[in-house]
Amino acid sequence: MSAQALPLVRPMKALLATLTWRRLLLTLAMVIVIAALAQPIFITPYPELVWQLLVIALLVQLAFSAAGQWPLPRVPHWVSRVLAVVLAAPLATLALQLALVGGSWSEFVGNHGMLHGFYAVTVLVLVFAPSMALGALYRERDAQAQHDALAFALEKSTLEKQALDARLKLLNAQIEPHFLFNTLANVQELVESRSDRAGPVLSSLIAYLRAAMPQLDDGDDATLAREAALVRAYLELMHLRMPDRLVFSIDIPAELGALRFPAMALLTLVENAVRHGIDPAEQGGRIDVRAERSSAAGEVRVSVADTGIGLLDTAAPGTGLANLRERLQVFYGHGARLELAENAPNGVCASIAFHPA
Amino acid sequence: MRSATALIADDEPLLRERLRAHLARLWPQLEVIAEARNGREAIELFEAYAPQIVFLDVHMPGRSGIDAARAIARRAQIVFVTAHDKYAVEAFEHGAIDYLVKPFDESRLTDTIERLRNGLLRPNARAAGAALHDDDALAGVLDRLAAELERRGARVPGSLPSGEAAAPPTAAYLQWIRASVGTSVRLIPVEQVAYLRADEKYTLVVWEGGEALIRKTIRELVDELDPQRFAQIHRSVIVNLHQVAQVQRGLNETAEVHLKGRSDVLPVSRSFVHVFRQM
Repeated sequence: MSAQALPLVRPMKALLATLTWRRLLLTLAMVIVIAALAQPIFITPYPELVWQLLVIALLVQLAFSAAGQWPLPRVPHWVSRVLAVVLAAPLATLALQLALVGGSWSEFVGNHGMLHGFYAVTVLVLVFAPSMALGALYRERDAQAQHDALAFALEKSTLEKQALDARLKLLNAQIEPHFLFNTLANVQELVESRSDRAGPVLSSLIAYLRAAMPQLDDGDDATLAREAALVRAYLELMHLRMPDRLVFSIDIPAELGALRFPAMALLTLVENAVRHGIDPAEQGGRIDVRAERSSAAGEVRVSVADTGIGLLDTAAPGTGLANLRERLQVFYGHGARLELAENAPNGVCASIAFHPA
Repeated sequence: MRSATALIADDEPLLRERLRAHLARLWPQLEVIAEARNGREAIELFEAYAPQIVFLDVHMPGRSGIDAARAIARRAQIVFVTAHDKYAVEAFEHGAIDYLVKPFDESRLTDTIERLRNGLLRPNARAAGAALHDDDALAGVLDRLAAELERRGARVPGSLPSGEAAAPPTAAYLQWIRASVGTSVRLIPVEQVAYLRADEKYTLVVWEGGEALIRKTIRELVDELDPQRFAQIHRSVIVNLHQVAQVQRGLNETAEVHLKGRSDVLPVSRSFVHVFRQM
């Protein structure tokens, strides 16, 4: 027994905690009113009736709370609690009456007045207690619903905050000054040398800046086609800067262009391919951007494959990929994946796989 | 005035052309005798033609402009060319090294040309006669600059094992695990790995995206993985500490590890229970 006593301490405390001041006062008030109403049918004096009823009411209330504390398997919650009240009413009355006659059963059974009182009190309690139990249950459910609604709102705002954080991180990371000024230096040379290419290159730069700069809302216009246009502008600028070292292709089927796609996600992968794959390689290499729908599962895979210097096992992953992973989760839910693989014979292939919303 | 010779090193051809065109107009006597596309070519062409002046782009593939400057040292007047690198510019100013910021304007280039001309007029001030002390100062600035750019993830792959360059202080712990999945070799970021378990001759990697076998042994992996994140808890098991949900003590000084979001339970053997002692 003593081994079991210890683990029971905590639920007992929880049980006592259900006897709030509010509940105690309410019970007292009810008992005073009921005792006054029922006074004519009892021979017991009023004050005595009040405290007897009060003891019974408290015991019944404890039974109600206990049923909530130790739920029965396969029995609906409200049934077990009302049942507890119904059972507790006669038992509590009996216990009290027995206590009053010093625990003597024969004296209790032999005393007509007491038996009469027992029936009267039991009926009285049975009339009021179940309805009060149902009322309490209703209030509890209300509180639970309120609690759930709060938890839901909290979770929603946490998710929204995560999405916002992810976007802010992205905003900070974009439009590297180094890229911008180097490109402008190239444009300057084209303009000064009156090259015919100055116009088209400026157009690419403008397209890139327009897509990359202003709003990072993943709104309705955040589509794969728009992202592809941004990536093309970027790669054209990089090709201008390293014409002998960068070759690229973009193959995104028109039917996939309208799919929603998080802004800058593909650009992040392409920039990585340039910065960590092609640019450090003296001979340069090629970048192939591709999108395809796998026939079976309907999953879409967008990939960026480069033939650059590849990735060292010990190269610390940048925050860019971690941020991107986070954004994909926010945008598509947990089904979206960002995967990196070797691109034989050299280089890296990064891909985003997702189920279109 | 006798003609001077120069080398231009930049991986972007348009920028080489632009510098060459401006130099031709502002300093017609200067002869650009070679153009290099990367640090390695810059060093080779310098050794071949020994120009008096070298324009070096900081960011170049293979060996960077900083590498080339180390190799050339005080044998020529060096002007660094860079596009918006706050740290680089600060380092250059601090080390009294000449530099141009792309896109540069003509007046800035004119100033640089002025200084270069003065330098050529007083060759002794810069060349062989200069104190060894000076060389050390230059190397120091370049080392710090290379380390700084490396730390910021800029594209200075520079540090090829070439002698004087100090190795970068990068933590050499494994960051990616290569595993065959289907027909491709996946690169799995170590932070996504839940645990690794010996499986006959191979090791099973279990991560967010699935499971795969790799050839590395648990013994090798223990040494290669960051001990801040990974711990061996059994002769045949390494766990990612960041993915441990709880540790349950068992009988006989053993324990079990439960992972976050997984049903797998990993054994902790007696000799490794100490891993979780201080937690």
